[in-house]
Amino acid sequence: MNVLRVLTAAVPVLMLSFAVPLLNRVEPRVFGFPFLLVWIACWVAITPLFLYFVQRLERKA
Amino acid sequence: MKPEVVALAIIAVIVLGTIAFALSAVRRFRMNPHEYIVGSRSFGALLLWILLAGEIYTSFTFLGAAGWAYGKGAPAFYILAYGTIAYTIGFFYLPLVWRIGKERGLLTWPDYLIDRYGSKTLGVSVAILQFFITVPYVTLQLTGLQILLTIAGYGRYNATVAVSAAFILIALFVFTTGLRGAAWASVVKDALVLLAVIFAGTFLPLHFFGSTGAMFGHILQAHPHWLTLAAPTANYGSAWYVSTVLLTSIGFFMGPANAQSIYSARSAETVRRNMMLMPLYQLVIIFVLLAGFTALAVMPGLKGTQADQSFVLLLQRYFPAWVVGVVAGAGCLAALLPASVLLLGAASIFSKNVLTDAFGVATTDRSRMIWTRALVLICAVLALVLWIFAKTSLVDLLLFYYNGITQLAPGVILALFWPRVSAWAVGAGLVVGEVLAAYTLHLSTGPFGINPGFIALLANLAVCAGVAMFFPRRHLQRPQVEAGITA
Repeated sequence: MNVLRVLTAAVPVLMLSFAVPLLNRVEPRVFGFPFLLVWIACWVAITPLFLYFVQRLERKA
Repeated sequence: MKPEVVALAIIAVIVLGTIAFALSAVRRFRMNPHEYIVGSRSFGALLLWILLAGEIYTSFTFLGAAGWAYGKGAPAFYILAYGTIAYTIGFFYLPLVWRIGKERGLLTWPDYLIDRYGSKTLGVSVAILQFFITVPYVTLQLTGLQILLTIAGYGRYNATVAVSAAFILIALFVFTTGLRGAAWASVVKDALVLLAVIFAGTFLPLHFFGSTGAMFGHILQAHPHWLTLAAPTANYGSAWYVSTVLLTSIGFFMGPANAQSIYSARSAETVRRNMMLMPLYQLVIIFVLLAGFTALAVMPGLKGTQADQSFVLLLQRYFPAWVVGVVAGAGCLAALLPASVLLLGAASIFSKNVLTDAFGVATTDRSRMIWTRALVLICAVLALVLWIFAKTSLVDLLLFYYNGITQLAPGVILALFWPRVSAWAVGAGLVVGEVLAAYTLHLSTGPFGINPGFIALLANLAVCAGVAMFFPRRHLQRPQVEAGITA
């Protein structure tokens, strides 16, 4: 269960760090925003959701 | 009325009003070191949120993030990402740090290290190190203040006097109220900064280009590669991005003021809930970036440290004085309040961990109180003197703060998960890390495009782990904490 919690939390961390060089592009633009900025902003916004799941996993354990 | 009078008057009203509000909010609390330094561990989720948020919005974020967007482009995106990763890591270990602090009555990071590793020498050394790294960081906030007051004065005043006056005022304020006052003042500060930043980030692109998309289009036309990272091994390339994001997120909570904020929480759950929600606050940084990008599209050509002034300068050039006053006033609070919390952090570390632990001075609550307060003022004077005489090397000092403070992370985090680590292991790693960090300070990019601070941290970790493997701690038991710290 502990491993599952760490893995869940690791998803946004990896998306905001190691995945960034792979998505290092301007197109497709989203509402005129460059793709890289949109990618990072979206993962920042979703991170609380992942941490919420981590907390739920713990309660069940 | 002259524009500089309007702008500076608004700033004065904002700063004085905030202080008055905070003073009226904290009148009824009796003072002792516990209350002064960590607010009697009583802050609920909301006040802690604001205090933690306050630490994000230093003048570096306010001016620096826009300055990076203006002067460097895509590398500025790291500012958005690293806080979020820091909270995710903090979500796991900070509630444990809080619980240990509560059970063992700890107030600072050196307290924590002394308790976990049973070594006063380690704690006192770290305290001295943190003290000498933090005072220059306060100085950096003064430079932010100077930029804002100079622009709001429309270049007609020498800002040195105004900066000194504002800083002494805030030092006296935190001298009086301690952490609780700073937290309440942050309520006003956050509201104003939020307002200023959202205004700048949404209204500026609309005003000059009709839409944010058009503004980005304009930038891409002039600088096609501005909104993506350079090749992996280039200066500020993608290897730099990844290593910097990891380095700064691991070191995020290692400053003396951060330990204070964590320990001021009412419960471990309060800490945890804050870590879960703080990333949402990070999103506000997007508006700062947009303001910086707009400044670049409208008035390119500012070089070097001038980039930090970009968006406030844009306001000064194209908007009425009262707008400059409100935004610069918010910015001044963003420099002054973190500076006040840093002063408190440095002072409490010096009085508790150097005077009391090393020299046996100030052992009663009453004398500790007097010493901590006196040290707040002494640190303020030190920072002010440093600012007046050493303005040029401040970028180096910022890097040294982050790279130097981050080296504490292995000792703090491993204490929770690996019983073999001894004070010797932490100390050896720390020495290697700090020496490497100081040695590589002048390099913005190290081998393979990696941030040299990150290499220092890896070396620190390797030495620490190596010593722990071959010379494990003799008594594996640490002072136990109720409810099991691995929970």
